[in-house]
Amino acid sequence: MNQMKQRPVCHRAEDLVSYLYGEASPTDARDFAEHMEQCELCRTEFASFRHVHESVVVWRNQALGSVSIRPASPMKDEVASNYQFAPRQEKRSARAALREFFARSPLWLRGATAFATLLLLALALFAVSRMWTPAPQVATNNSEKIFTKAEFDKAVNNEVARINALEGAQNQANSNATNKSPIRTVALQKTARSQAARGLRPRLTPQEREQLAADLRLIPGREEDLPFVFSDEPEQ
Amino acid sequence: MDTATTDEQMVERALSGDPEAFGEIVRRWERRIFALAFGMLGREDDARDATQETFLAAFRNLRGFRGEAKVSSWLHRIAVNQCITRQRRSKVRNETALDDEAEKNAAVFISPVDVSPARAAESRQQSLAVRRAVGSLPPDLRQVVVMKEFEELTFQEISDVLDVPLSTVKSRLYTALRQLHMRLHKFGSEDLKTFEG
Repeated sequence: MNQMKQRPVCHRAEDLVSYLYGEASPTDARDFAEHMEQCELCRTEFASFRHVHESVVVWRNQALGSVSIRPASPMKDEVASNYQFAPRQEKRSARAALREFFARSPLWLRGATAFATLLLLALALFAVSRMWTPAPQVATNNSEKIFTKAEFDKAVNNEVARINALEGAQNQANSNATNKSPIRTVALQKTARSQAARGLRPRLTPQEREQLAADLRLIPGREEDLPFVFSDEPEQ
Repeated sequence: MDTATTDEQMVERALSGDPEAFGEIVRRWERRIFALAFGMLGREDDARDATQETFLAAFRNLRGFRGEAKVSSWLHRIAVNQCITRQRRSKVRNETALDDEAEKNAAVFISPVDVSPARAAESRQQSLAVRRAVGSLPPDLRQVVVMKEFEELTFQEISDVLDVPLSTVKSRLYTALRQLHMRLHKFGSEDLKTFEG
């Protein structure tokens, strides 16, 4: 300690301290920088104090973390910035920084961060799953086929003609077998003949047409699912 | 709590019976007061106790706060007094035992995550030397160093807290840095010998 007391002290010792910690005005900092070029003692002490400062900061960072207690004062001069202390930030890995963040954060912040991360992951998974799902098909089988009105009418007419032919054949067979009511048979035959002569088929009510269409699986069972609306009058 | 509200307004609120107001003051200042206490005492458990006692003493003496100084300066003064009182008490007790314990605590503090064992040992030695060097400074020099290096207060703020002239703060810091340089050199050499021996 005596050795230290015997060491000479420059008369600008206080200026050296102000300069070191960046608290000298720009003019004073420039002035002291010029002085330091001439004064070997100040240069030596500057280097020594810088080493002390860095050692204390290392100890402080290890004990309290490298987060600054308060923002360091800004550099006041370009010349001074070459010499003055800069706040020391230790280089650490992202893992270490993350660990420190979680260690220092309050419980609610940790919970919120974890929740936000999970939410983000869930959204990402959802987006990926949407990308890989094929587009839904409008109709996947024939039973759901939607018929046009022309197709519908054609099918109904064909079916009516088929039924008429069947009924005609059946009636002929019955009249031949029984022949108990010649008047009615003759009337029916007359009607059939006259209808055939006019090219007409028996008229169907709308309900019958609808039922027929449903039986032919041309339309769904319920009326609201029909591909078009039936008119009250059957088509001729 | 509104961060735009000043500390002085918080004290007024606390005095008028707002139970949250003093808690807000504690939240604002506990980290810095802890840093000051840690720098002064060098041990985490002591620093925590001193921080707690500082805020307890402040709460008890809230009515004595006249508003002539800043709340921050007032809290710092209480904290410095608490630390000095603690150190006097610890000197009465067996200091060697406490130092051993402190070194163990220091080792826990400075166990780095991503460095090699050799680098960790070197870093531990260096930090131990710094802690011993700062701890061996006289209290008036130590508090200036701690306020500057740990709390990063300006010279004017230190002057306000300690109620001494600005030039006194600078000359104390200059003296403290010179002494620290000498002691670090001395402790570093001793540790190196121990390490090699």
